[in-house]
This record gives sequence, structure tokens and C-alpha cells, in this order.
Amino acid sequence: MKLDRHPLLGVPYHYAPVSHTSPDSGPRSSKNHPAVGGVATALPLAGRVTGRDTQHNQMDVKMHSMHRIATWSRTALFALLPMGNALALGPPTQEEDPVPEAQPSEEAGEALFLRAGRLIIRPGEVLEGGKVLVRGGRIVAVGADLEAPVGVREINGDVICSAFLDPWSALGLSGTAATDTSTSAATRSVDSLDIYSSEHLRLDAVRAGVTTTRAQVGERSAIGGVGAVLRILPGLSTEQAIVLEESNLAAAIGLSKKGRAVGVFDRLKDIDKLVQEIEGGQKYGEDQIEYRYDLEEWQKEIAEKEEELEKDFKKAKKDREKDQKKAEDKGKDFKEKRYKEDKKPKAPRFDSDKEIMARAVDGELCLVVHANRASELRELLKATEEFDRLRLVVVGGTAALYVAEELAERHIPVIVWPAPFGTEGLDEYDGHDLSLAGRLDEAGVEVLIGSGGGANASRDLPLLAGLAIGHGLPREEAFAALTERAAQVFDVADHLGAVEVGNDAELLVLDGEPLVSTTHVQYVVTGGQLAVTPEDR
Amino acid sequence: MMANLSNARLRSAASAALALLALHSVSSASSADTFAIQAERVHTGGGQVLKDATVVIADGKIVSILTAGVEAPQGVDVIEHEGDLSAGLIALQDFSGAKGENHDSTRTLMPDADLSHAYHPDHSDFERLLSEGITSIVLAPARASLVGGVTAVVKTHGGRVLKRRAHLQLSLASSSLRHDRFPTSYAGALTEFDERLESEQGAFGEAQAGKLPVVIRADSKHEVQRAVAFAQEHGLKGAIAGASRSGELAASIRDAGLGVIYRPFTLGMESRSLRSVALLAEAKVPFGFGLEAPLRHPASLRLSAAACMRAGLDAKTAWRALTEDAASIAGVESSVGVVAAGKDADLVLWSAEPLDLGSSVVAVYVDGLRAFGGDQ
Repeated sequence: MKLDRHPLLGVPYHYAPVSHTSPDSGPRSSKNHPAVGGVATALPLAGRVTGRDTQHNQMDVKMHSMHRIATWSRTALFALLPMGNALALGPPTQEEDPVPEAQPSEEAGEALFLRAGRLIIRPGEVLEGGKVLVRGGRIVAVGADLEAPVGVREINGDVICSAFLDPWSALGLSGTAATDTSTSAATRSVDSLDIYSSEHLRLDAVRAGVTTTRAQVGERSAIGGVGAVLRILPGLSTEQAIVLEESNLAAAIGLSKKGRAVGVFDRLKDIDKLVQEIEGGQKYGEDQIEYRYDLEEWQKEIAEKEEELEKDFKKAKKDREKDQKKAEDKGKDFKEKRYKEDKKPKAPRFDSDKEIMARAVDGELCLVVHANRASELRELLKATEEFDRLRLVVVGGTAALYVAEELAERHIPVIVWPAPFGTEGLDEYDGHDLSLAGRLDEAGVEVLIGSGGGANASRDLPLLAGLAIGHGLPREEAFAALTERAAQVFDVADHLGAVEVGNDAELLVLDGEPLVSTTHVQYVVTGGQLAVTPEDR
Repeated sequence: MMANLSNARLRSAASAALALLALHSVSSASSADTFAIQAERVHTGGGQVLKDATVVIADGKIVSILTAGVEAPQGVDVIEHEGDLSAGLIALQDFSGAKGENHDSTRTLMPDADLSHAYHPDHSDFERLLSEGITSIVLAPARASLVGGVTAVVKTHGGRVLKRRAHLQLSLASSSLRHDRFPTSYAGALTEFDERLESEQGAFGEAQAGKLPVVIRADSKHEVQRAVAFAQEHGLKGAIAGASRSGELAASIRDAGLGVIYRPFTLGMESRSLRSVALLAEAKVPFGFGLEAPLRHPASLRLSAAACMRAGLDAKTAWRALTEDAASIAGVESSVGVVAAGKDADLVLWSAEPLDLGSSVVAVYVDGLRAFGGDQ
């Protein structure tokens, strides 16, 4: 594929509006894509190499990782890989890259054999007496008849299920990233990833069963930027912490600023601005497609011309030499004959924000919009109707019941915040009710539950889910909201959300049913480790 | 929001009706105010759960509790509930219906302000409390008050003041000390309190004489230490309110014979405070939860208990903190907090285990009157 170079950084990039997920190409499996200009995307978890590797090889890996870390953020900005393959953390396939396997290898994580009274494979699918074998941070076997391999640590529990994903959080990001309001579409949450920040908050969340978050910078910013799905266990490397580097684009409309409500006209302006951005992204995407088409056409013509020249090469050469001589005799400069095909199509001006928005318009990244009041939700739905590939997700949705029918019809999920607001809540939460999740579910809307976008409440996600259940959301729906459904909405269902072979081993061992207040989390498996045991409680 | 009492229904067996007609004279004991509720699980208190028991209620009081298989007296309507029944929850420190009436911004010291005057039983705040299973609250002065007055225990339905002079409420929290009004420091506040106690007049005099318990607000650990020392010095009984890390001072609180009133749980509340509650339980210090509604959502009461359980508090103590221990701290344990003969019929019908946030309130009775939910 023909690559262009970004005028400032000289980093190759290309634009490729692409089709969606194919089953075998999750974020981890994106390969050494030409778009990243030879920067190998396979990112071995630093230091993890298979047994046969020589010292030299290990050195290579190390260098490779360093190089990678130095370049990953800018490459990701411009390297827009097919189907959210962004900067994969994953292993190369053997054919493509000889670099040692990047997946947690056998040595990389403890092997564990978990035995459950009830294994909840996914919402609604239970295997009595289920067993799970975990190796290298992955689930390698699931079944009722599995035998524990010799020498593998065994763990028993009443209930085993997927760990929880908080789809509305900032945990994992550095301090003020969530509240930054100067963000734009190309601002990336992973660029504010801070694996050393707020360790105690992260550990508390893991102990409560929340091992991953969809962390968002600029959560209250008009355009928040690109969110990421992160593993939050302290002690993981940057690479281990990232499940999916680009999970969504975020925006917000009608939110209070500095604790004060904004007027109705400013709120409308927010919507207009967002729609303009979406339209801008769409135009940009179309221009890029047009450019690629023109470029292809041009390349084809050049090729044809070359062929023609090849045929008449001798004659052409003689003619050229003659012309050259003539020019020399006359003391003039020799001018090469120009072909009109030489006019190479000009690439549209690069715009990193529009580029991201174009991907959202194309449905490659979902667009998460924080909106609460009925008027804003209605206007948002109306204004986005024409963008049929756009995947909208509503966050907050205090008054979403008024537009529930349309949300259900258009399969727009709502991330509800079942927080126990008193009378001191912000203006946009007027009419906030704990029964919202249950009522939306009843109306056929896909419900997710989030802890509200801050860093410190992810720990309390299971409690919030409990409140939602107590106020009308069926328990199984709440469980789905925290596991499989959240993983599906944010494109990480090939890693998280179900206890399936091949998925990441993000697992909870409980002494009772999940999301029951009297149930305790006994063990937590995350990031290739047994991170919590009953002794930690 | 009215819950539908779909799983509680009148038992209307024809035989019972016939018996009622035939033995009219015998059933004279049962008036319109007499009825019974049978539930799958009756949480009587102290961690005891009776299966398929029946609670008989007459004139707003619990008359008896019949174990499984024992029929209610003839002629008594029995409401069958598929789920759990428990005593109503009690919120210590609440402002429901009292907005603007529980605080005087111009006066710092109002020891004889009577919070029962701020009780507004028809206020819509109470409907919200009922929907979360709360049947009694302690009406307390606003948090900015230094000496806010004498608290009152009131019911959330029916307009009954259960106890008019529950505690004298003082504050030794920095949030009650302001630079523009007297006193401006801990020392100034303590001096003022000392003098008033020694004067032996009014509410301070009652407190000094041991006739009126105190509630002392203290938020941080050093404020709790100061409050405990102050109470001990004057031999005051009562509770420390606020007290986020008071579990770390559990022994001294216990030795001073005081209880603790926790502030309601908020999202992201520090884990150290939550774990601190389990330490109090270990030291056998009685404690309950404040609610501070309507500033906080009434669901925060049960949420507080759930959050503490997750941080290590055992379920039995958590339940007591919501009911009987809260009743003791409010000084109304003779009337409410458990399901037992002779107590007020403040009862909550839950869809399932009441300590699980996932269970919901199906119906609420206060003094034997249905206050929330139900079919009728």
C-alpha cells in the first residue's frame, strides 16, 4: 500500500476506513502492519521470552520494546489500522514476525486451576461444577471434566465468574486527565495512562472485583478524546495494563461547568458543535476515500505509461538523447517531457481530530456521549439519525426514559450511573432516579452500569449495581452490564466478559452469587496473576 | 414510586370467612386494627430468622410472633408475603422535612432548641424514606451548628414523635467553627461547653446530670479523640457522630461508654474509614448510621451497611447498626428496632434478604398502618 508521510513528523500514515471486527483479529492480534512503517507492533511483555531464546534474542526484545515505547504514541496517532487494531499489544503470528511470543507465555504467569460449585460462563450460561485452567494470563481450558495438571495451584470456590469492567471511569489515568476540558478528538486516554498513580484506589477496585475500566480523559469536555480499556492492577507494565488502546471517542453535551448549570442555548450550542464535528469527520473520511481512489487511478495510469515506455524504450531513449543534445547545442536547459499523469493527487490536509472523528462516523470506534436532559437526548438522537454507521452510546441519560423507544430501536446502549444522589446533585441530574436502569431495561434498552467517570468510585461499581438491582434491574441484566455487555460495547469481547477459552483470565472466585451484598470476593485473577486471595481481605 | 404488593395478598379462604361468621363473639378480640403478616423469613432481631412465621399486630403494636405451622387467631386477616419481613430501619442524624428549620445561622449556641419543632410529618421527604424501609429517624440540627439543640426521634409516617428529647447535640468538628462567629477554635468551644455544663442549667444541665445523652460531632481522628476526652471528663453518655476513622480509637470510645454514629457512605469514600467500622464492631462499640437526607439519598442508609460489610463488617452487626443498635443510640430501644411482642409495629416487607442491596422494599408499616407499597 502506498504510504504518505506526515509533513511534520515524517511518520507514515494512511487512512483506511475499514470493515468491522473479524473474529481472529482482535486488538492483540494486529500485526506488523505496514502503516506503522516497520515499527513492529508486536509488543512482547518486556522481558518475557520463551525458553529457547538466546541472550542476544532477549536483548533484541528489550531494544525492540524500548523502541516501541518511544514511538508508540505517535505512531498510533497516525497509524490508523484496520478495525481498531491499533497498536496492538499482541503477538505477531509466526509467519509474520519472528519476535518471541508477546502473549503471556507459560513462564509469564502462574498457571492456575479453578474449581467452582457454579461456573458462570456468561450471563445466563452456568456450568455446575465447572473448572477453569489458566495459563499465561489466558483461559486455556473450561469444562466440568477437567483434571488439574500436576503441580498447578488449585483454587476452589462457590462461584466463579468474569471480573467486572467499569465502562465509565478514569481509574488508571493520571490525576487530572478525567477532568481536563481542553481535550479534542485526537486526545488519547492511553497517553495519560499512569501505571504508578493511585495504587490504593486501584487495588481496592480489584479487591471489589473490578479489574478493568473503560478509562476516559476529558470526561466532561465537549469532545473528550479517545477512551481506552485498561487493566488496573498495580504493578503491571504499561503494555500489560492496556487491553484496548482505542475503545471509543467521547463527547459531552449540556453538562454543568464548575458546578453551575449551563443555559439552554449553550446546551443547544453543544449539540450543534458536536454535530458539526461529526459532519467534519464524515467529510474528511469521504475526502480520504476519494483521495485513495484518485491515487489508485493515478498509480494505474503511471504503470500503464511505464509499460508503454518500456515497449518503445529504445525509440524513446533515442528521442530523449536527441532532445537533450539539441538543447545542449542551443545552450538551453533540457526539459523532461511531462505527462499529465504525473500530477499526483494531493492528499487532503491531515487533521488528527477529524481523522478520529471519521473513524467514529464510520463506526470503527463507538461515540460515547454524556448527555442527561430529555431535550438534549432528543436533539442528539435527531441530529445523529442520518449517520447510519455511527455507533452511539449514551452516558448518564438521566431522562433517557423519555427517548427509550428510540434508544431501543437504534440499539443505543445507555451507561447508567445508579448513584444515590441527594438534593445536592448537579442540575443535569434533576429527576435522577435509582430505578432508571431497571426501567430502561424493561423498555428494551441495553443498559450498562458505570461508576461515574472519576477514579475513586470504580471500587463501588458492584454496590451501584446492587442499588440498580434493588430498584428494578433484574440481577442477571446487572451482571451482564458489568461483564459481557460492557465488553461487547467497547469491542473487547474477544478478551473480556465471558469465561471462554482464549479470553484473558480476568476472573473472580466468590463465596456466593455475584452482586449480592453479603457475597465476598475471595480470589481475583487478573493480568496473569492471582492478585487477591482471602488473606488480603 | 409505589411498589406493587403483588406477593402479599389477603388470605381469603372461605373457611376462615365462615368461621368468622359462625364465631362472631369469639373474634371480638380482633378489631379492624388487628391483622397478621406471614412471611417466608421473619428477621426478628439479634440475627435470628424465623421461617414462615406470622407476626400478629393489634393497635399499632406487635402482639405476638407465631412460628411456622401456628395459625393466626380466627378472624384475623393474614397478609401473606413471599419474602422477608424485618423491623423498620432507623436513621440517626437526619434532616428530612426540616429544611431551614434545623439551623439558625445567626446563633452559635442554642442548647434548648427543640428539633421536634422542625418535624413536618406531611413532607414529601418522608415518602422517600419509607420507600427505602426507614421508619424512624433522629431529627438533628444542621451540620454547621455548634450547639444545635436537642434532637427528636420521629416516625416517618403518622406524625408521631417517638422521643422528644433524645440528645443534646454538640459539635467539635472544624466545619462548625467559623472565623466570623464565636467561638472560633476548638479551645473556645470546649471552654464554652465546660462553662455551660458547670452552670447545670437547661439541656447542658440535664446532660451533666446524666439525664440527657449527648451527640458530639467530630469528623477527623483528632476531633474524635478530643470529643471522647471531653465526654469522659464530664461523665457524659451518648455517641460521637461523624467519626470517619473512629474504629482506630475503638478502645477509648468503648472505655468512655460511648456509641458512634457514622456519616452515610458516599461513592469513593476512603477504604480506611470503611474498614474502621469493622474495628468498632470487634471492640463491641455500638454504632449506627446517619443519613442526612434529603441532602443524601435515603438508599444511602442500606448502602452504608453494604459498603461496610464489603470492608469486613459481619452481617449480623451490620443489621444491628441499621435497627436495634441504632434504636439504643437514639434511646428508643424499648419501642423499635426489633420484631418482638410489645414493640411498635414498624415493619418492612422486603422482596428478599434485607441486607442485600438487590432486595427491594415491597411494603412498609408504621405503627401498624401501611405507609408505603401494597395493593390497597
